[in-house]
Amino acid sequence: MRIVVIGHGMVGSRFAQDAASRIPDAHVTVLGREPHAPYNRVLLSSVVAGKAAADGIALDAPAHERIDVLQGVAAAAIDRERRIVTASDGSLHRYDKLVLATGSAARIPQIQHVATPDGLVAGVSVLKDLDDAQGILDALPKARRAVVLGAGVLGLEVATGLAARGIAVTLVHHAERLMERQLGSAASAVAAGSLGRLGITVITTTSVTRVLERRGRVSGVVLGTGAEVLTDMLVMCAGTIPETTLARRAGLPCERGVLVGEDLASPEDPHVCAIGDCAQPPEGGSGLVAQGWDQSTRLVDLWAGARTARPRTEDADTTNVVRVKATGLEVVTMGLSGKFEHGERELRAVRISDPAVGRFVEVVVSHGLLVGATVVGDKTTATELQALYTRMLPVPADPAHLIVRPIPGAAATRRSVADMDDDDTVCQCNGVSKGRICAAIADGCASPEDVSRATRASTGCGDCKPQVKELLEAHAASEDKAPVLTGAGEA
Amino acid sequence: MTAPQPATAAAAPHAAAVATHCPYCALQCAQTLTSTPGERLPLAVAGREFPTNRGGLCQKGWTSAEVLRASDRITTPMLRIAGGGFREASWDEALDLVADRVAALQAESGDDAVAVFGGGGLTNEKAYALGKFARLALRTRLIDYNGRFCMSSAAAASNRALGMDRGLAFPLADLGGADAVLILGSNMGVTMPPFVQHLAGVRSRGGLVVVDPRETVTAKLTADGAGIHLAPVPGSDMVVLLSLLHIVLAEGLQDARYLASRVEGLDEVRRSVASWWPERAEAVTGIPADTLREVARLLAAASPSRGGRGAYILTGRGVEQMAQGTDCVNAAINLALALGLIGREGSGYGPVTGQGNGQGGREHGQKSDQLPGYRMISDPAARAHVASVWGVDPAVIPGPGVPAVQLLSSLGTPGGPRALLVHGSNVVVSAPNATAVEQRLRALDLLVVCDLVPSETALLADVILPVTQWAEEDGTMTNLEGRIIRRRAAVAAPGEARSELWILRELAARLGCDALFSEDAETMFDEMARASAGGKADYSGITYARLDAGEELFWPCPASSAGEEPHPGTPRPFLEAFPTPSGRARMIAVAHRGPDDDVRPDATTYLVTGRVLQHYQSGAQTRRVRELVQAQPEPFVEMHPLLAERYGLTEGAVAFLASARGEAMARVHLTTDIRTDTVFMPFHWAGAGSANRLTNDATDPTSSMPEFKVTAVEIRAAHQLRPAPELEGATR
Repeated sequence: MRIVVIGHGMVGSRFAQDAASRIPDAHVTVLGREPHAPYNRVLLSSVVAGKAAADGIALDAPAHERIDVLQGVAAAAIDRERRIVTASDGSLHRYDKLVLATGSAARIPQIQHVATPDGLVAGVSVLKDLDDAQGILDALPKARRAVVLGAGVLGLEVATGLAARGIAVTLVHHAERLMERQLGSAASAVAAGSLGRLGITVITTTSVTRVLERRGRVSGVVLGTGAEVLTDMLVMCAGTIPETTLARRAGLPCERGVLVGEDLASPEDPHVCAIGDCAQPPEGGSGLVAQGWDQSTRLVDLWAGARTARPRTEDADTTNVVRVKATGLEVVTMGLSGKFEHGERELRAVRISDPAVGRFVEVVVSHGLLVGATVVGDKTTATELQALYTRMLPVPADPAHLIVRPIPGAAATRRSVADMDDDDTVCQCNGVSKGRICAAIADGCASPEDVSRATRASTGCGDCKPQVKELLEAHAASEDKAPVLTGAGEA
Repeated sequence: MTAPQPATAAAAPHAAAVATHCPYCALQCAQTLTSTPGERLPLAVAGREFPTNRGGLCQKGWTSAEVLRASDRITTPMLRIAGGGFREASWDEALDLVADRVAALQAESGDDAVAVFGGGGLTNEKAYALGKFARLALRTRLIDYNGRFCMSSAAAASNRALGMDRGLAFPLADLGGADAVLILGSNMGVTMPPFVQHLAGVRSRGGLVVVDPRETVTAKLTADGAGIHLAPVPGSDMVVLLSLLHIVLAEGLQDARYLASRVEGLDEVRRSVASWWPERAEAVTGIPADTLREVARLLAAASPSRGGRGAYILTGRGVEQMAQGTDCVNAAINLALALGLIGREGSGYGPVTGQGNGQGGREHGQKSDQLPGYRMISDPAARAHVASVWGVDPAVIPGPGVPAVQLLSSLGTPGGPRALLVHGSNVVVSAPNATAVEQRLRALDLLVVCDLVPSETALLADVILPVTQWAEEDGTMTNLEGRIIRRRAAVAAPGEARSELWILRELAARLGCDALFSEDAETMFDEMARASAGGKADYSGITYARLDAGEELFWPCPASSAGEEPHPGTPRPFLEAFPTPSGRARMIAVAHRGPDDDVRPDATTYLVTGRVLQHYQSGAQTRRVRELVQAQPEPFVEMHPLLAERYGLTEGAVAFLASARGEAMARVHLTTDIRTDTVFMPFHWAGAGSANRLTNDATDPTSSMPEFKVTAVEIRAAHQLRPAPELEGATR
């Protein structure tokens, strides 16, 4: 089977590797537009934030005797009739199966003077690939102020990342709520408060309408309100558009993305499939890499004829976890979050809203399962809820237990031996109770060694030696007092 | 045939105080045994100063003399009688019967009609003799042992990465100087308490990191600033390791010079961990990304290349008893290699061996594919060497057999073995999918079990042969450090119990095999040492005389030529080079696959299994010690109150657990020391409370280790079952 994969990103490269290793007769050709080995696009904002190095986010490049990777070679055209892809270097690639993994492009909103015929104005950028990240890094040394347009996940990560580098950031967002697809009003307000504490100015319900420039570089932006904001850079994080150009030209049906069925194949052409951000499956594209990787695995399963080929989970799309990677701002949502219809499903939603400390937690439970959650500013809870949600594990009878945490450290503190009952075990290794140790001391054991000989306490791991000493000292203290008291009584 | 003699003089008490080691786990705590004439027990046990236990013993060790006089100790051979039950028999009758039946079955169905199952608690001498007996006297290729359930994943991973499996590649006391110790899936605070003394230094420096889904006694050692406890979702430990390595490489914390000079395979591993950035790992493991970063930085700061005093990574059964156990250990070794820890004094990697002789037991020919000295049975040179020591033609040594789970599941099946000899193992309790194992044992034509007591496995036998134990015998053990230590007899065995060395000699003679089998442990040791010469686990420079003189000997310890100083042994291998073809350690790219039997809508809770302090393995010994039974009388299932509430369970109620393979019932212990999605059962008991009726017999593709440590179960309150008929209906 000759497979041509267009796109050498996170999804395309993984698909190529899995297909070659699991389908014995597969010969895979990968066309990759970017001149880089595949890298972890999810971490681009971490590169901007300085938490990851640009050369430290490379991914496992497909390596197999039956894989050819053409790096820096884009696909130019698809001839579906003859099943041939023409590449930008003029080479022709015949296929039995074509996999589109072209990803998505950054959406560039309608903004006056944002671009010249040569491209974006200097200082204005999107963040979609390594070159974009490098461009932002290059501009940093001279930048004091930045405007970030768009408060989705990427916008929040870029805004907090730049703020952490000491840059004065203004975050401009078209909707009333930050991450309006994931956050309701209360959660958004809590997140906005956290951004404020990080020194980020948040302006919502407006957009950037015009770019101001001086000597060919951005110097400010004009907002929909008419206000002007001075800036040294503008980073546009206004969403993505599935990259469907090739597919449309080849006459494949596309809406937002390349339309595919449950089998990830185009309804018009069984020889063409689409996975990752460029695809529009029946359940809709989430724009998350987890969905693309899941599609990649399913497609390989299908072609490998694996008995383990598993359908997409219908009830809860468990790849649907959104997490903001930002220092000082913890936002995680999964499943039902923000505004949702209660509909006919029996839903219980329980929340804590604690804006003063930047905390908001909401869990949505249906039939004993967690079907959604919104967590702002509570890392531990967010982590545990993700584990519950992605594995569809049962939740406590009262969902409130999901969001109330025990007092940190309360369980870890060692109980003072003085507070123990006689039945309580002091020496775990040998099962020696406080009562037995006290009795041994009363019988004349005067040192920890005596107590060990008499009771075996502290002869295992030795961790209870301090407690045995404490009991000895307490006994000695009471002995010291005893004669005095007796004497007083006699007097 | 030699008539059985009364216990030899060597086994009689020969001194008032005898220095030996504990009968139980791989820490092999040093003990002094003092005879106590006239007392209920023949001797008194005390801890003895030694580099490993520093005089300490746990409750099991203190009470070990009780097993010598267990009220149901078997003191004479027993033969099954028609209609059930056993009758006593003479040794001659029992041995003749075994030999005749073995010969007849082999004549009918071939040599492989008889199989042998050994144990990681047997002395080196017995393990060696058993492997030799299987290959030469029985001529069967079918031998394996319960160490397959113990150390096989760690062994396989160490062999492929480091070229050798020496357990801890350093003396235990070295741990004391480290700035960081990362422990995954081991609860030594309960399983081998005196070990904890060696963690005092790292705890005082805040560097102890324990990875365990439960807040175990060991995890609690991280409290009060002593370190960090990570409680990952069961089955996701490997993702913790992959992500830690991702962070080390992303933040440039690795030891570049060491990697350049001593390691190969970094590039592929670097790419393989690239997809485990901490936020993604967080979603899988349930451990916050920032906590993963904190741990990675803590380990790196402790590593020698960054000026630290050293760091260690230790793995236990929690991460090894998985269908991806070998890969998981390789992920741990990859991390240790990236930080430049292995082959450096003061740092390292090591698996924490479990069974008393789990290390030695895997080196001398009990494994289906190995010959003495950790040699591969398929290697012509290895066969030639061992054959020359045994005085046979290499061609008579059978080829590789099959590993434990496969062996057990083939018993009594068409074409499978018809007879099984069991030594030092209670498979009905300790093997996964235990109900199926019991059925296989019942399907045999002949089951011979050598045991001290009527264990659950012995009770299924056709012939039970009573054997000596611990204080009744001489021999050597190899502890978790790869240190060879002496076991010494202090008391005569009761009744007619005899050493397995004697039994094997007698059976070999009856089967017409004239190879050397001696009742004398030292004679067998000396031959074993020669057989191991030139192998990876080379014992040829070790003698009883050196050990008895108090030398601390770690293998490899090759024989020296005449006139040379004796080899001092190797406490810390890898300091110069790794025993791989290139001399470099190999990093091996591994991928997380997750549990074979993961939670699903009809089995929504993770079951993890493990041990309690008072019991050892299948409990055959410790369940016969009153003090231990009083402290820990019955099986139980530990769960979080929030999970219990969901099923209407309260403290002390009986929970019913069902997995895809079987059911179990146990009393509920409530604790907040466990994740709310996980329950814990100890596996020391047989019957309705047997955890291994639930566990999965899916195995690791490399090591054949079964997946004991994570199983999907459904829970119900037992009282809700009655009078529901489904209990019978569901029983397979």
